[in-house]
Amino acid sequence: MADSALNAERPISTVHRQAGEVINRVILWAVFLTLSVICVYPMIWLFLNAFKSTNELFSASWALPETWRWENFTTAWGYGISRYLLNSVIVTVATVTTVLTLSSMAAYALVVMSFPAKAAIYMSILGGMILPPEVSLFPLFKVLAATDLYNTYFALILPNVAFHLPFTTFLIRSYMVGIPPDLREAALVEGASEGLVWRDIYMPLCRPILASAGLIAAMGVWNEFIFALTFVESDSVKTVTIGVMSFAVALRADYGIMMAGLALSILPILATFLILQRQFIGGLTQGAVK
Amino acid sequence: MARAVADLLVLARVPFYTKGSTMTRPSANRTHRASLQGWLWVAPTLAFLVIFVYGPALANVRYSLFSFSAMSTSKTFVGLANYARLMADPIFLQGLVNNALYALISVFFQVGVALTLAAVLEARIFPRFAANTFRSALFLPSILPVVVVGLIWQLLLAPAMGLVDQALWELGLGDWSRAWLGDPATALFTIIMVSQWQWTGYIMALFMVAIRAIPRDLYEAMELEGASGPRIFWNLTVPGARETILIVTIITILGSLKVFDIVWVMTAGGPNHSSEVLGTLMYRAAFRDDVIGYSSAIATVIFFIALTIGVVQIKLQKDR
Repeated sequence: MADSALNAERPISTVHRQAGEVINRVILWAVFLTLSVICVYPMIWLFLNAFKSTNELFSASWALPETWRWENFTTAWGYGISRYLLNSVIVTVATVTTVLTLSSMAAYALVVMSFPAKAAIYMSILGGMILPPEVSLFPLFKVLAATDLYNTYFALILPNVAFHLPFTTFLIRSYMVGIPPDLREAALVEGASEGLVWRDIYMPLCRPILASAGLIAAMGVWNEFIFALTFVESDSVKTVTIGVMSFAVALRADYGIMMAGLALSILPILATFLILQRQFIGGLTQGAVK
Repeated sequence: MARAVADLLVLARVPFYTKGSTMTRPSANRTHRASLQGWLWVAPTLAFLVIFVYGPALANVRYSLFSFSAMSTSKTFVGLANYARLMADPIFLQGLVNNALYALISVFFQVGVALTLAAVLEARIFPRFAANTFRSALFLPSILPVVVVGLIWQLLLAPAMGLVDQALWELGLGDWSRAWLGDPATALFTIIMVSQWQWTGYIMALFMVAIRAIPRDLYEAMELEGASGPRIFWNLTVPGARETILIVTIITILGSLKVFDIVWVMTAGGPNHSSEVLGTLMYRAAFRDDVIGYSSAIATVIFFIALTIGVVQIKLQKDR
């Protein structure tokens, strides 16, 4: 289709190179269209099949549903998806708030104050980025069990905070370096405390990076798996990633409802992404270049 | 169990106090107070890292020298026996090889392919809205939880019901139909490809940011000279995005080393251990088979590989 349109516009004639360019363009369009379909279609497939009965699914999984079974969604919702979503929201909000507060404090001190072993401290904060959570998993489990934090929100919040602090501190620090130091000095001369300078000057100026860093951390926590798998076991604290898994196991026989559950679990994040694509991609790719 | 906490507190104390006391210069009172204040501001972050990251990681190294189960009150010191067992365990070696394959294929897609795609999208070949739409479409899988991705692809790949199978039959390629995740020959590669499906678009978006930071007039100059697309790519885009390429390569290798979620959800290491990786081996040893010392030894191997990669990264970045 695109092929003939382009050819009509620029008949293959005099310049050999132009023809080659047109073919290149057609190939590139085809490649990107195919890739886009491969990336997006599974989601559409999921949502369409969430309306089907298991029989219908087996006979033709790419057709539109014969009847739109909305009851699949209500049944799935009744299996506890709402509770899992709520737990995810609680854990994510608590983690991100704590991470942003603590790491912006650390970043502030690292940028504006001078104190002994500053470079070493910064390195040891960054070093946390290298360590995969797997390495600390069993010892963490033991500590949480010994302190009765196992199977509470804190069992997810505290480790998540710790593992997100390094990168967030790194991002915020890189941003704060660009804030002119005279602002702080003038305020200190006026008699402001460091706390006030941090809260009333640095934090408002850092809003863009706080938004990006917060989004990156929020996505990480929302999708976090291994802590949620290991540190909680009751439905009342399970986050949506693990909830969906027990849900999928429980509904092995009823694929339509299972897919409705999966669809519901990703709906909030999918909707946010579709509405705020640019901000989302911009925020999540922050830190690609320093 | 309280021992573990005590261990952590001891560990926490070591770097904290020795550093502080030897480094503080006895100077004016004011500097001293300022320095104390600086410490206070970083203290919460450091405390979190020591208690939840470094402490447990070191405790893990110590655990690897013992033989015990999760609920036992005493541990038997076994020295390096757990490591000797590891080296003799064919499943562990299989896991190492699988992690390496994971890293190799991931670097190919997430560095090679993603960079090429990013360069094409940034070359202004497509109209702006089309380029933006392609970027969003390819980015989309990366916002989904890995678990959900694993479950969706399990369904897509399921024999008979799955879209992949039905598409193959429709295309007359019924012979290719197979239980992608149930066949030891294809399970690992299927998982790896699902991972590429999820992350290539995200890394592509990262590279697009990096390419946009390369001065536009350099591109225009090369285009004026009549340089071809591939030449511009090799002579301008690749050197210009060098820093990001390095970081992404490291992130990808580290990610492949610690991969766990997607494998656990899709095959849990099976069938017949064919898709086992270090993460799944470590997890099963600790939380299913209850051989903690052995599990800690696997985690320690992960720890040292990660550390090595981290050191290499710091060295490479310093050299530039």
